[in-house]
Amino acid sequence: MTPMILTENITKVYKNGSIQLAALNGISLQVAPGEFVAVMGPSGCGKSTLMNILGCLDKMTSGRYILNGKDVSTLDGNELARIRNKEIGFIFQSFNLLPRMTILENVELPMVYAGVPSKERRERALEALEKVGLADRIKHRPNEISGGQRQRVAIARAIVNNPSIILADEPTGNLDTKATVEIMKIIQKLNDDGATILMVTHEPDVANFARRIIRMRDGSITDDYPVENRTVL
Amino acid sequence: MNILENIKMALDSIWSNKMRSFLTMLGIIIGISSVIAVVSLGQGGQMIITGEFEKIGTNTVTIDVNDDKAEDSDYITYEDVNQLKEKIEYIRYATPIVQVAGQASTSSKTKTAIIVGGSSDIFQVENSEIMFGRFFNDIEYEEGKAVAVVDSTTAKNLFGMEDVTGMTMDVGPKTGQRTVTVIGVVKSEYDIFADMADEDYIPAVVYMPATTVSHIFSLDETTSRVIFMADSNENIESAGNLAKNLLENRHGNRGRDVYKAENVMKQLEQINTVISIFTTFVAAVAAISLIVGGVGVMNIMLVSVTERTREIGIRKAIGARTGHILFQFLTESVIISSIGGILGLILGIAGAYGIGKLAGITPHVSPGTVIIAILFSSAVGIFFGIYPARKAAMLDPIEALRYE
Repeated sequence: MTPMILTENITKVYKNGSIQLAALNGISLQVAPGEFVAVMGPSGCGKSTLMNILGCLDKMTSGRYILNGKDVSTLDGNELARIRNKEIGFIFQSFNLLPRMTILENVELPMVYAGVPSKERRERALEALEKVGLADRIKHRPNEISGGQRQRVAIARAIVNNPSIILADEPTGNLDTKATVEIMKIIQKLNDDGATILMVTHEPDVANFARRIIRMRDGSITDDYPVENRTVL
Repeated sequence: MNILENIKMALDSIWSNKMRSFLTMLGIIIGISSVIAVVSLGQGGQMIITGEFEKIGTNTVTIDVNDDKAEDSDYITYEDVNQLKEKIEYIRYATPIVQVAGQASTSSKTKTAIIVGGSSDIFQVENSEIMFGRFFNDIEYEEGKAVAVVDSTTAKNLFGMEDVTGMTMDVGPKTGQRTVTVIGVVKSEYDIFADMADEDYIPAVVYMPATTVSHIFSLDETTSRVIFMADSNENIESAGNLAKNLLENRHGNRGRDVYKAENVMKQLEQINTVISIFTTFVAAVAAISLIVGGVGVMNIMLVSVTERTREIGIRKAIGARTGHILFQFLTESVIISSIGGILGLILGIAGAYGIGKLAGITPHVSPGTVIIAILFSSAVGIFFGIYPARKAAMLDPIEALRYE
């Protein structure tokens, strides 16, 4: 089976004047379709940099990245924007919803940039909100709902364009235990339905919801193993 | 991503910062409204002057004797005027104009008077409008009959009523006045002033046959001014030259350049040019405030971009391309300045009518002015919005997402 994510020896070097800082030292990684991978490691290990590169937000210094069979290593800014729009769904620790827009409008936004006609946008946004159990609060604004609900809106926004992969960066970092369980349940459900998910976390409990764990340290992968005794909700 | 979506988004954003948006617009409003007011009043003034000239008739030519060069024998005789009309086929009407100051008195009142003598054609070239009675005719002119036509203001001031045909008054110098019969009343040219000034300061205006005027005031039957009307616009110039030639032949003064022919259209053009230059100059000064307004728009857009850095990062993360962000912010600045432009237009027109009312000028708001004002304010929005919008569009998504 073609891997959903295939990276070959990705490096990332930050230059600041004469000082060079290597954030990634040759990451080679394969993720098959339908996998649910948790990326763990201490802060500064390069996991956020890796997520940014895998999410096409940042450019690598060297190496190759093939996403869903397409080489995206050399694309320019606007082509990357198109990939982010169509192939990638982001879930952020701080939700990153637009405060002035309603929940429905927030979920519709990726489709606005994809050029989906407004009627279809609404249908698909409602469908996505249905999946995260928020179809009844579509007219509210983000500051009128709880943190757990905001993250569910963000998940709906991430899946609404049917992306190849979902990238979650500490998705439960700002949530209490109850909301964490709710969110992980939704993410597991998405994975069970076939979504490929990459999740950065530093909480072992949360990582245990995944099927596979990758550990990083100092810009390299130090461990990569399937989860035994996985938490299933 | 279509334009309507962009406009809706921009309006949401403007609305959520109502006060700030309005203050930003104010610069544009002041700029556009002052340009509109100045241009409308300038054009209104031009139209009034053009109207006045057209009332006189644009086909009229005035021939003046240059008093500095002329000898007694060079002055135009009444017979010269008859010859002009007879010999030059382009001339339709011709009249000498003899204007003297004197007095006019009725049994109850005496007033200073401007007495204008002419042939029966004077009413054609002056484009007079008869209200009561009739103008004097050729025979009365030839024979120097004691008849007069007054304007309605004079009739009111002297007789206390408008229809004074058949009544008599005494006209002439302070001593040696003659009794004349009023045969007609024409519409007053000075109606607008009549309401404003004390009637005592308005002189009586009396039209009489030039021959009669010469007789009463003991003058020669000559004049320093002839006005004639050409049969068409194209013939004005040739008619003027022919008339000068004829007069020079009759007086044998060719080469001394005694007579000067002038068409009112030329004067009108000169006056309009002066007004245009003046209007343009004042409008240009007013337009500088538009630039200041534009800088205000740019300033607020830059603030807005900084405030919304995170929003821009989020939009980019979920797939907004450079063009989307650029267009979003550009739409916002164009809408701010266009709304400012439209409000400025309304305010400018209102202001022009307000000032016009005080100054007695009806402003002229041409569609061209309106279109240019709106296009110009949009252009200000584009010009001063492009830099902030580019700044927003070029933001690095990771940096923008990290922005607190």
